[in-house]
Parts: sequence; structure tokens; C-alpha cells
Amino acid sequence: MTHPIWRSSFCALMLALVANTALAETGISNLQALFAKMSRVSHDLNYRGSFTYQYANSPVLQSFRVSHWVEDEVEHERLEYLNGPEREVVRSGQQLDCLPPGDQLLQGRLTRMGSRLEQLDNFYQVKVLYEERIAGRTATRLQVAPRDNFRHGFLLSVDQDTGLVLSSLMVDAGGRVLERYQFIELEILPDASRLAQQPPAQRQRQAKANLGGCNQTEVREPDGWVLEWVPPGFVFAGQQKIHEVRDMLMYTDGMTTFSVFIEPTETALPELVGHRGATLALMSRLTKGADLYRVTVVGEIPQITAEQVAQGIRAH
Amino acid sequence: MAEQQTSQSLAESVSALVDNQASELELQRVLKASQTSLEVKATWARYQMISAGIRRDLPSQISMTDFAARVSAAIEAEPAVEAQPATSQEIQSKPWWQNLARFAVAASVAGGVMLFAQYPGLVDQTADVVADAQTFDAVTPAAIPSGYHGQALSLRTVGLEQGFEGRQQESRNLVFVPREAVATNNARFSAEAQEEWREYLMQLIESHADNASLNSSQGMLPFARSTFVVED
Repeated sequence: MTHPIWRSSFCALMLALVANTALAETGISNLQALFAKMSRVSHDLNYRGSFTYQYANSPVLQSFRVSHWVEDEVEHERLEYLNGPEREVVRSGQQLDCLPPGDQLLQGRLTRMGSRLEQLDNFYQVKVLYEERIAGRTATRLQVAPRDNFRHGFLLSVDQDTGLVLSSLMVDAGGRVLERYQFIELEILPDASRLAQQPPAQRQRQAKANLGGCNQTEVREPDGWVLEWVPPGFVFAGQQKIHEVRDMLMYTDGMTTFSVFIEPTETALPELVGHRGATLALMSRLTKGADLYRVTVVGEIPQITAEQVAQGIRAH
Repeated sequence: MAEQQTSQSLAESVSALVDNQASELELQRVLKASQTSLEVKATWARYQMISAGIRRDLPSQISMTDFAARVSAAIEAEPAVEAQPATSQEIQSKPWWQNLARFAVAASVAGGVMLFAQYPGLVDQTADVVADAQTFDAVTPAAIPSGYHGQALSLRTVGLEQGFEGRQQESRNLVFVPREAVATNNARFSAEAQEEWREYLMQLIESHADNASLNSSQGMLPFARSTFVVED
């Protein structure tokens, strides 16, 4: 069963992107509008699909099954590992009307001291490449190229019917593919109970829902720490305390995220960078008076971004 | 003398295979030889690297042109893929981002092999990385459909990782690069220290997945990036 409202929206937006004529008329930046819609669709729909996943420097081709459904205005999600031991990650409890900061940013509802933030189109350039068939569905391949060196680019294949991303490649500035996934099948199910009734896997891990606050309209500042430099387009999206000593500061530009982890330490620290596929972790240090802190910037970002962020972190 | 001739013609066959020019007979010969010959495996790996254009001192523009030119012929032969045919002139004048469309199509044609070549400098020599040779061995000629351009190249991406071995390598797959010059204090780079940092970073990557899945419109995918290590 298709969703006629979404279909007309996505087709219209895609056509506008191709024709490039509607840009001036609509007065909204089309990439942001497209992503705002795409983001909401993935929250509203009940679906289940299987996809393959692979990342740089690893020959392993993994496969997963993902399910998403809404019951009583609350979202439920499962990510099952189809290779290796039976295990899954589940997340329940995200209220449908609770938009996290990343979504608020895409919807254009976040402001900084009352003034609007720059649109996504200032940081990424979108181009419609071609139409293709993925997971048995008609999709449009988009190229989302970064406008600066502080973030990676994407090649996304968007389902014309629902706006779900059926295939995605994350590409760095050198043209190297950092990670990719591709759906091989996708079911759009109107009935949530079928998804809800599936038995749990042998091992389950719960992911937290409702982090970062709901429907924020003002960009906040982190507590106790200052980031003197944040890459353009990125905003602070919340803070958590992990294991009682570790501060986690979250940042996003709507498409890309990074997190900064700060904790006190006694031991001497290396300064190093770890890569795992698309994810980079840059470990650094910080002194606050007589105290030594370990600072780590983690995200699907280029090293230059992590370096500059780390250099600019200081205690409040 | 005969041995020299054989290894030379084998190298030619490997090169042809990498370029999708190999005949069925050449393919059989190379596969058979690779089972016993380390040299053939090494040649295969080397030609893979060269054809992927991953030498970091090459400007990316040049390598993209070579690659794009080589596969555009293969693309033309494929039915109904909606890629705009481009002249080599067009390819050369465009920045690499614009050539990426062809790259993406080619990747799907070639089974994705170009995407995950070993990048020198990014790969930690001591990490447990499965060598090309191993994946190469396990694919039998029967698995390669005839007449499908580029299928031979996809040998690399045929996953061999099964069950626990694969998982364990996955959990160790975090590549380190020290940011400062090699320290005088050698204790920093001991195996125990590296293991400790690896575990620490894996924890952070897992925590970061909460942020990514919430704020980057990618749903549950970020959780697929970290490993879910099962204690036995």
C-alpha cells in the first residue's frame, strides 16, 4: 500500500531539484525541505527490511534486519544482526511528537538567540543523478556533496514512494567510500502488531530513547565546557553523563554528527586517532588547573574537523 | 626458462582478469595457480591495488579518470542502467565529485570491489586484516556467472567471515594512528596499552551511536557501526 501524500511530495521535490526552476519560487532551500520530509517519514512509517552493510578497511559484508513501528504515538525500533550470534539492538519509547535536536534543525525550528540558523543547503550541495531500482523499488540516486572539508559526502538512493533511504554510500574528500549499506528488501506494513509480536533475539541490547530533549527551539550551550570552534552548520544537541565521570557533548548539522567525551584521568595519555570505517575517534588531552582530562572527539567526520574541535575545547 | 614463461603469462592473465579482459580459460588457469602459488596471489593483490588507483601520491583526478574510462566500456555493455554516457573529454574536465556518479554505477557493476581496496597509511600493519589472498581462494569458478562484466572483480567482496572468527576480527577492527612522533617512553605503545585504548574507543563509538541515530536521520544504522560483542 502506497502513501499518496508522500509520493506527491517526494516526486514534486525531486522534480524541483532537477528543474532548478522552483527554487526561487518556493523560497525554501530544497535540500533542507527534502531532508526534513525524509526524516519525518522514517519516524511515521511502519516498515521492516533487510540490508547489507560494509565499511572501509573491512572485508566483512554484514547483514541486518531493521523494523520500525509506531504504537500509541510511541516509536519502536529493532536492529537484528543476521550474521554471527543472534543479537539485536532495540529502542522503544521515543515519543512521535518529540523531535530530537537534529530533526528540529532540519525542520528549521532551531534558532540561536532568536535568529534563524543557516540552511542545510549552505553546507551540502544536492544533485539528482539518475533513477534506479533497489530492493525491487524505484528510487532516485542523489549526490549530496559537502561544500567544505569539514564533513563527508553521500550518495543516497531515495525510495520514490516513501522517501526512505534504500542505499547510502558515505564518501570522503578523496573519493574513498567509508561505508555503505543497501536494502535488499523492504516491506511497508500498515499493521504494527505484526512487527510488535516478533519474538526477541537471544541477546538484546537496549538503546536509550528520549535523549537530547524534545522540540527544542533554542540552541543551548554545553555545561562546564566550551568549544571555541565548532564546524559551520553544527549545533550543540545535548549533553549526557556516562559512568558518572564522563561528559558526552553531542553535535549535529542534521546529516552528520560528532560527540565529544571528556573525563578526568590520572594516567599519561597518548594523542592518537582511531578509524573504524566511517567513524573517527581522536584522543587528546586537556588541563584544567592541576587536573588532567582526556578529551575524545568521535564522529563520522574528517580528521581535520576533529583536530580543530579538540584544539578549541576548554573548561568553563 | 619454462617456469619464467609460465609466471609471466600468468601475470598477464591476472592483469587481464583485473581488466575484465580474461577469457574463461585464463580465469581457470589463474584460479588454479592461485591455489598453490603465493606469487600469483601477490600479483593479484598488486594489480587490484593499481587498478583501484589508491596510490596516495596520485592526484585523485587522474585515478578517477583511469577508472571511469575503463569501466565506461563495461557500463555501455550493461542493459538499461541510466548513466549518462560521457566522452573522455567530459570526464577529464569534471571534478572528481562529478565523476562519482559513474563510479557509483561502476561499483554496482563491479560488485563493489573498488570501494574497499587496502589504503596504505590507513591500515595498521599489526591489525588482523584478512588478506586478499584468502578471499580469492574460496571463490570457485562456478560462482562466477559467465558474461557478467566485472563479476570477476567482485571476488574480493565475497565475505568469508563466518560466525565467531568474523565477529572477533570485527571487534578488533579499529585502526590506530599516533598523532605525535613515536614517544621515547615505549610503554605507551605496548600491546596492553593499545588494547586498553581500543576498548575505550569502542565504548565511546557505541555511546556516540546514540547521538548519531537520534540526530542524523539515519535511524538505527549507527548501531550497526559498533560491534555487539557477545561474551561467551
